[in-house]
Amino acid sequence: MAKEVTKKQALIRMIGFGAASAVVYAAAFQHADAFADLCSRGGAYAAMPIATVFLVSYVHGGFASNLWSALGITAKAPVKTAQATQTKRPEVRATLNA
Amino acid sequence: MDVALDSLKFIDLTTSSIIFLFIVGFIGGLVSGFIGSGGAFVLTPGMMSLGVPGTVAVASNMCHKFPKALVGAIKRFRYGQVDIKLGLVLAASAGVGVQVGIKLQNMILSAWGQAGSNLYVSVSFVAVLVIVGSYVFYDAMKSSKNTGADVTPALALKLQKINLWPMIHFKTANLRISLWFTLPVGFATGMLAATIAVGGFIGVPGMIYVLGVGGLCASASELVIAFAMGLGGTINWAMHGMVDIRLTLIILAGSLLGVQLGAIGTTLVREVMIKIVMGSIMLIVAVSRALAMPKYLVQLGLMDMGAETVAVLDKVSFLIMCAALTLGAVIILGAMFKARKAMARQQQEAFGQA
Repeated sequence: MAKEVTKKQALIRMIGFGAASAVVYAAAFQHADAFADLCSRGGAYAAMPIATVFLVSYVHGGFASNLWSALGITAKAPVKTAQATQTKRPEVRATLNA
Repeated sequence: MDVALDSLKFIDLTTSSIIFLFIVGFIGGLVSGFIGSGGAFVLTPGMMSLGVPGTVAVASNMCHKFPKALVGAIKRFRYGQVDIKLGLVLAASAGVGVQVGIKLQNMILSAWGQAGSNLYVSVSFVAVLVIVGSYVFYDAMKSSKNTGADVTPALALKLQKINLWPMIHFKTANLRISLWFTLPVGFATGMLAATIAVGGFIGVPGMIYVLGVGGLCASASELVIAFAMGLGGTINWAMHGMVDIRLTLIILAGSLLGVQLGAIGTTLVREVMIKIVMGSIMLIVAVSRALAMPKYLVQLGLMDMGAETVAVLDKVSFLIMCAALTLGAVIILGAMFKARKAMARQQQEAFGQA
């Protein structure tokens, strides 16, 4: 199970990832036509759209994950099965009853 | 920097088309995060209805699919639901299935033209979805009446007992089965992905009923297959310059929000809900594709029908497809809401007792 983060931590991360995501989207759509043209040239230019979606999946994915956590929509923790606690057996010492 | 885009390949983006793509992306992502696939069957025709050429629609859709699957797979891996080994083994044979599927499509295209190819796609859609979807739905209803827990199907139990070299142990899926039985499942997933773009409609039921994987693990591992196949397909399409990155980024903005919500949903609801959502979507999509068939039969000269009636059927078919995705999302969100309410009530009761 994923490490739980508090709502406050999630909010801070959401703002950070959100800002990064906004920058990436603004950069891509500022010159959307030129960027779309560059990504559709084929050949080695194929790396452009692939690298872009990897970057977006990291920043926007991070934003989305923290958004749901900040809103309190989190995964249910798995039910912990009670583990039988082992009682410590008394140490057997050799004693000499003289 | 002003660059004139090729108007035959790239559409002009309007506010309404951006909102449409974002919403469909979100709902498609939600369903994918929950059942491992979905969304693609609405997105491709949806983009085409906006005026995007078919190949650009398929390429842009695929380019959004693999990062979405990656994010969903990582999220569900953290919940301990993904069997990476199972996903990769199936993805390898799915790759072969995709190639065979493409070859078959090309053969049909050259023999009967575009209408024949479309008819083949629709017939495959209806046949697979009716047969597999009915069984998934029937099984979901049966398990829902019982405990709702997954029981290993009889076929899978029999196959697991056959010691045919090489035997593979899948740790998270908690099963040991011969590699030979995984091959047809992966191959069929790839074939279907190449035909109707949603391999998960055969991949997830195949993992559940043939291999004996639990519903949760099957739908989560399907995301690994979707990532591998999507990445391979995207490289191919992008090398041919068919990806419209603007469309991909808009859909991705919605789908990354949806896929994470869907993944969270799997931890809140009963496991049987995955089968219920999958079965419902498959059966409704089958109806939608059946309504699209007369159009291709008319084009092939095998049926006589007025142009207006064909146009109406085409529109109704697309609307039913959208309804299928929406219904899936409503069931998921409804089940999540109910589960959260029940958890809150339990917590309140526990607090009251303390």
